[in-house]
Amino acid sequence: MAVSFGGAGLILANHAVAHMSRTLCAVPRARAIHSTAVCCKHQAARIRVGKGDKPVTYEEAHPPHHIAHRKGWLSQHTSNLDRETGAAERTVEDIFIRRFIFGTFHGLLANELVIKRRGNMLVVCALFTQKIPAYKLYFLIGYTETLLSYFYKCPVKMEVQTVKDKVVYKYL
Amino acid sequence: MTSCCSVFYFRNELAVLQALSSTVQRVQWVFLFIYLAHVYIKAVYCEVMWKSHMFYYLLRFFFFFFFLNLYQDPTASHYRFQDDPYLTPRTASEFKLFSLSQESGRNAAKYIINTYPNFFLKDYAEPHIPCLMPESLQPKVTEVCEAGLRELIHLRKVRSAVDMYDRLLQAGTVVSLELTNNLLDLICFYGDQDPVQGDQAEPEKTAEGVRDDEGRFRKSDSLHRTWRKDNNAERIFHLMPERNERSYGALIRGMVKYGAHSKAFDLYTDMQNNRMAADVHAFNALIAAAPEVRQKYSEKWDLIAEMLKQMNKLGVRPTLLTFNTVLKSLLRCGPLSRALVLQVLGEMKALGIEPSLATYYHILVAFYRQGEWGFIPKNVLIVLLCLQCCSLKDLGLAYRVHSLLNVGDNWKLLGNPSREGFYYGSLFNLVCMMENIGVVLQWYRDLVPSLFYPNSHTMRDLLQALDADNRLDLIPEIWKDVKQLGLATVSGDLAEEVLALMARDEHSPEIQESFANCALAVKAVYGHGEQSQATLDFTASALCNMATILLAAGRTDQAWEILQLFKANNRVPSEKLLDEFLNSAKSGSNSEQAVTLVQMSSSFSLPATARLAQRVEQEFDLSEEQKKCMDQLPFEV
Repeated sequence: MAVSFGGAGLILANHAVAHMSRTLCAVPRARAIHSTAVCCKHQAARIRVGKGDKPVTYEEAHPPHHIAHRKGWLSQHTSNLDRETGAAERTVEDIFIRRFIFGTFHGLLANELVIKRRGNMLVVCALFTQKIPAYKLYFLIGYTETLLSYFYKCPVKMEVQTVKDKVVYKYL
Repeated sequence: MTSCCSVFYFRNELAVLQALSSTVQRVQWVFLFIYLAHVYIKAVYCEVMWKSHMFYYLLRFFFFFFFLNLYQDPTASHYRFQDDPYLTPRTASEFKLFSLSQESGRNAAKYIINTYPNFFLKDYAEPHIPCLMPESLQPKVTEVCEAGLRELIHLRKVRSAVDMYDRLLQAGTVVSLELTNNLLDLICFYGDQDPVQGDQAEPEKTAEGVRDDEGRFRKSDSLHRTWRKDNNAERIFHLMPERNERSYGALIRGMVKYGAHSKAFDLYTDMQNNRMAADVHAFNALIAAAPEVRQKYSEKWDLIAEMLKQMNKLGVRPTLLTFNTVLKSLLRCGPLSRALVLQVLGEMKALGIEPSLATYYHILVAFYRQGEWGFIPKNVLIVLLCLQCCSLKDLGLAYRVHSLLNVGDNWKLLGNPSREGFYYGSLFNLVCMMENIGVVLQWYRDLVPSLFYPNSHTMRDLLQALDADNRLDLIPEIWKDVKQLGLATVSGDLAEEVLALMARDEHSPEIQESFANCALAVKAVYGHGEQSQATLDFTASALCNMATILLAAGRTDQAWEILQLFKANNRVPSEKLLDEFLNSAKSGSNSEQAVTLVQMSSSFSLPATARLAQRVEQEFDLSEEQKKCMDQLPFEV
C-alpha cells in the first residue's frame, strides 16, 4: 500500500489554511516521497523465462549462484586472495576492456570475454562469430593489442576463437 | 687432467653426435636421447667429475638440438597467427594478407596513440617502460638557440634544422664546430630532405633514400634521391669558417651515398691539398665510389688499390666494412674479380679481421655460375647457398646448409616470407629429385604448411617423385593439399597431370575407388566453379582421363555423364576411350549404350566410326530398330 504524505494532507491543510490565509501569504508547495514495501526478489544476471523464442547462451542461461558449480569465472586475477591489493583497480580495468572490445569488434562477440592476468601480461580470450573476413579480424586484433598495451603499459595478448554463429544453449 | 680424460672418453661419442646432428630428421632425436643416456651412465661409471666441461658441452649440444628441433610444430601455422581454423592462413597469399593486416592494425593503433598522447600518459608500470609511452616527435625548444638546433638534429628534422642554423647565423651567434659537424652529418645522411615517415612509404622501398642494393640495376622510382647541385650541405660547408676532417668526411660520404661520385673524389683531392687525413669511413665511401668514376675494369681496380695504399700510408687501419666494400666494388670489375677476391680474403686473414657473412656472400657471388634460376638473390646468403647446392645437385651440402639454420639466430637470415618460400622451394625440389619417397614425404610433412606454401612447380616435382617411386596411391591426398593451397585453379597443368597419372596404369580396386573419388573432385574444379573463382575449361585429355578412371572403378553412370560433357564443351573424345566404353557396355550387355556410342562417334566424324560400328554389329545382339539406326548413320567406307 502506498502512503502518500503529500497529496491528501496538503489538500486538508490547504482547506484549513486557505480559510484563514486568504489574508495571509500563500502556502509553499512541497515535493512528495513515495515508498513501496520491499520486494524480496533476485534479479542479477538472470534471464526470466518467456515465450520460448529467445535464444540464450550457456553463460547467459545460468544465474550467478551457479558460478563454481556450472560456470567458471570470467575474470581471473589474484587480487582477491588474502592480503592482496588492487581488486578494485582490476575490476575497473576489466570493465573498460570489456566495453572497448565490445565496441571495437562490433556485433562479433559470441559470448562474454574471459580476461586472465598472468604475471605482467593481460590475456583477453574472446569468442567471435565469423561474420567478417579473417584479414579484417586480424586488423582489429593487432589494433586492440597495441592500443591496450600502450594504455595499460603491460603486454596485452588476445587469444581468439571463432564460431559460425552464437552457440545457443536453450530458448527461453 | 680430468678434462683430458673426458676428451679421451668421449671422443667417439662426440663424433657420433656430430654425424647425427647434421641431419634434421626428427626421428633422430629419439636415438640422440637414448645415446646421451648411455653417455651419462658411462660418465658416472668411469667416475668422470661432474664439472667436466666436455659433458656440459654435450648436454648443451643436446638441449640446443632437442629444443630447437622440437620448437617447430609441423601441424601449426606461424606463431603470429591465432590458433583457430578460420584464422589460419592456407596459402602463401593468405599468409601475407593476414600478417600485413595485423601489422596495419598495429600501425593504426600507433597513429592514434601518437595523435592523442594525453590519454596514454598515465603510468601504471612500476619500473617505467619507455617503449610503451606515446612518442613525441615535436620539438620542445622553440626559441632560436644552440639547444634548439641540437634537439632538431636529434629529432631528425632536416629542413627545420637547416632553417634554425641559418637563423642562428643571421642572429650572429657562432655555432660550434662540433654542432656544425653534427648538422652536416644529418644533412648528408638524409640527402638534404626530411626522412620519409613510416606510413608514407611502402615498407618494400627503404625509407631513407633508395640506395642501390647491388650495383646490378638501378630502380628509377620517385623516391630515388640524388645529390642536387645547390645543396644545403655544400652551402653550409662553404660558409664554415674552419673545417676539419669530420666535415670533409661527412660531405664525402653524403656525396657517395647519393650518387655524386666524381664530386666526392674532387673533395678528396681538396682534402689532400689541405694536408688533412681522411678517416676510415671516408675511405670506405671512396672505395665504394671508385667503380663509378672509371670505365675500364683494370682502371677501377687500380683506383681501389690506390685508395688502399693511401690508407696504409696515412696509417688508417682498415676494418671489416672496408674489406666488404672492396669486395662489393670488385664485383663490378668483371673477370678480374675471381682472382682478386681470394687475395682480399687473404689480406683479411693477415690483418686478423674475422670475415662476416656479407664477406662470404660477396665471394660466393663472384664465383656463382648462373643456374636455371637466372638471377642472384640479393643479400640473402642462405638462399644463395641453397641455389648453389641445387645447381650442383649436391644433397649432403644442402643438408649442411639447412642445419646452419638451426644454429643460433640464423633463422633470421632467411629474409622476408617470399625469400623463405623460395629457399624452401629449392630445397624441397632438390630433395624430391634425389631422395627416396619416404624421405620426401617426411620433408613434405615437416615443411608444409607450417614453414612454406609450395607453388605449382613444387607440387609437380612431388608428383614426379611419387611416380618415380611407384606410390601413386597417395595422389588423392596430394590433390586435397593442392586444392587447399589454392593451386588447383592457377593453371590447368596440375589438374591434368594428376588425372593423367591416375589414368595411366591399372591398380587394385581400393586404389581405383579412391582415384574415382579424386577424379570427381578434380571435375568440380573445372567447369562452373563456386563463388566466382577462376575456372578452367575442360580439355579433351582431362575429360578422357576422367572417364577412363571412372570406368576402371566401375562407375559407369558417372562415366556416361562425362561422355555427355564432351559434346557440351566441344571436345573430341579419343578412340581409345570409345573402345573402353564399348568394352564396358559389352560387360553390361547394354546394346542401347553401344548404339549411342556409335551415333556419338559418327557425330564427331571420327575415323574409327566404321570400325566401331562393325564391332557393335558383331558383338551385340541388336534389335530391329537399333539395326535401322545403325544403317542410317553416314559411314565412311
